[in-house]
Amino acid sequence: MNDKKLQAKDFITIGIFTALLFVVEFACGMLGFIHPYIVAAFVVLIPLVGSIPMMLFYTKIEKFGMLSIMSVLLAIIMFVIGMGYLGAPLIIASGVIADLIARSGGYKSFKKTIISYGVFCLWICANYFPVVITADSYRKNLIDGGYSVEYCDNLFRAINSKTIAVLLVLCFVFGCVGALIGKAVVKKHFEKAGIV
Amino acid sequence: MSLKLDPRTKLYMIFVVSAVVMMSATTPFLWAVRIAMTMIPILLLIIEKHYAAAFRFLIFYGTALLLTFRFLSENSKGFLSAFLVGYCSIIVQFMPAMITAWYVVRTTKIGEFVCAMQKMHIPDGITISLAVVMRFFPTIKEEYTSIRDAMKMRGIMLGGGNAAGIIEYRMIPLLFSCVNIGDELSAAAVTRGLGGKVKRTSVQVLKMSAADYLLMLLFTAALAVFVVSKYII
Repeated sequence: MNDKKLQAKDFITIGIFTALLFVVEFACGMLGFIHPYIVAAFVVLIPLVGSIPMMLFYTKIEKFGMLSIMSVLLAIIMFVIGMGYLGAPLIIASGVIADLIARSGGYKSFKKTIISYGVFCLWICANYFPVVITADSYRKNLIDGGYSVEYCDNLFRAINSKTIAVLLVLCFVFGCVGALIGKAVVKKHFEKAGIV
Repeated sequence: MSLKLDPRTKLYMIFVVSAVVMMSATTPFLWAVRIAMTMIPILLLIIEKHYAAAFRFLIFYGTALLLTFRFLSENSKGFLSAFLVGYCSIIVQFMPAMITAWYVVRTTKIGEFVCAMQKMHIPDGITISLAVVMRFFPTIKEEYTSIRDAMKMRGIMLGGGNAAGIIEYRMIPLLFSCVNIGDELSAAAVTRGLGGKVKRTSVQVLKMSAADYLLMLLFTAALAVFVVSKYII
């Protein structure tokens, strides 16, 4: 048997953690309807909360491809629930890059894992892409489609081509912070229990 | 009466509905097309005897639609209306895709799904992982319910006065059980020959029926009407 190739067990692990990550994303997403600023705050919320399952996932990664496949699945799910296809390339790109970074550390180096998770978190920003790229028509669409002007103004004040850079950086930073917290939580609970 | 649709038709439905959801409706005619498209999965749910779900979706979607059109306008201001607008328009926006996705996940057997993916030459890795994701949502919900019950039994509300606990108390047990279930699942799947070198055969024979072609045609037509009347006229 070839050790480098992914086994059925790996695919199942990917599936489980993708489902978990999606549940986290979805739960946070529900909050976003309250106020558009919360939509912008996803870059803080999701990396922090998502870090716990992800750090557990990282301990299970030994081969190249697991993170990449996860990002492909996320892109598919995001498309299915109507987030659009514009972000898909970014989601997959961040997954592959994160995978490459983690591989350079042999999937064991904790420093590389932090950076890798930070990069992986950039997929969250992909959900903002339709807002940024097609700002004008998107805004018109939203208002015509029944959103209030106030909601839109707030949304576009929080997310536009200027702030997207900040959001990306925040995403990365909180990804790294999240990785530290997640690692601590994993250590506290899972290593003690002998699951990892 | 039971209508057996090919998973490929269902996937196509998801694709079309997601595409339409992305383009927001701007005129009453476009709204009509969109609402008609939402009704199809609801009808299919009724045919498949998921009455409760169909009813729930119908009420939910109907209320949101009504609120959006009747009470909220471009000028709505203030926190409450912003809140309402937020919820209702997002429900109206994404509900069609969610109903369709729910319908597909509920009515497709994993075996059928895998077989259909294989016929479309999707790589095995993605097929297996996606099948696990689909299968796993109900499991997560179940596990989460038991965790909540356990917490109630211990008398812990939210985080028990500990902000981080809100997440920690729920997430950690959930992860524990999910990891265990995952191990069991892969043991079971591998014993049944998943990941073997032989090409997978399927008990289910997938065949496109007249209903499949009809639905595909219907959805293609709806998509075409939507795009043409939005961007060309």
